[in-house]
Amino acid sequence: MADQELTERVQELISENPVLLFMKGTPSAPRCGFSMRTVQVLDQMGVEYGAIDVLPALQPLREVTTEISDWETFPQLYVNGELLGGADIVEEMFSSGDLAKALGVEQPELPEKPEQPQSAQDLPAQSPPLKIEGSG
Amino acid sequence: MAADLEELKGMIEAALPGSEAVVIDETGTGDHLRAEVRAPQFEGQTRINQHRMVKAAVRERFDDGTIHALTIRILD
Repeated sequence: MADQELTERVQELISENPVLLFMKGTPSAPRCGFSMRTVQVLDQMGVEYGAIDVLPALQPLREVTTEISDWETFPQLYVNGELLGGADIVEEMFSSGDLAKALGVEQPELPEKPEQPQSAQDLPAQSPPLKIEGSG
Repeated sequence: MAADLEELKGMIEAALPGSEAVVIDETGTGDHLRAEVRAPQFEGQTRINQHRMVKAAVRERFDDGTIHALTIRILD
């Protein structure tokens, strides 16, 4: 059961900030690769966004977001009060142009990102991420 | 405890009748997995809801610590 006061505070923040990112670390110093990737995408979109570092209260915040959004890992990007997703969904929506639509901005014209491999079989073997709690 | 990829595939396909799932061990360690799923239930759902549906199907294996990370890819 999530802390009631914290839940209300989180809901306030989500409703007050049209674009709000819950992340590990800060946009200038992300402390998790997934959070860093999400910040990199958002920074290309040219929108203002709020960012909350979840690390000081990771477990209580995890309980809150599990309760209000049925989502327990971070980062989490909220747009207009709705959870859009974590790093994978944000990157995918960026590539498809759906993120720009959700944010109400033009798709930025900078195809800097390399093409995503189409399937996991195409991915090179990777070592497991270190020191990432949960699934990021 | 290593994850049973076939079991996870079965859990997803049972929760989403008519779906096809492929579960891959990305790191060889058995706990960072990738699921590629195609399901008729995804029609008209937002991406996050599609992910929620897949996660819900295997929640038991998250809760008991078998899986720590599952990357989900939704196939159209």
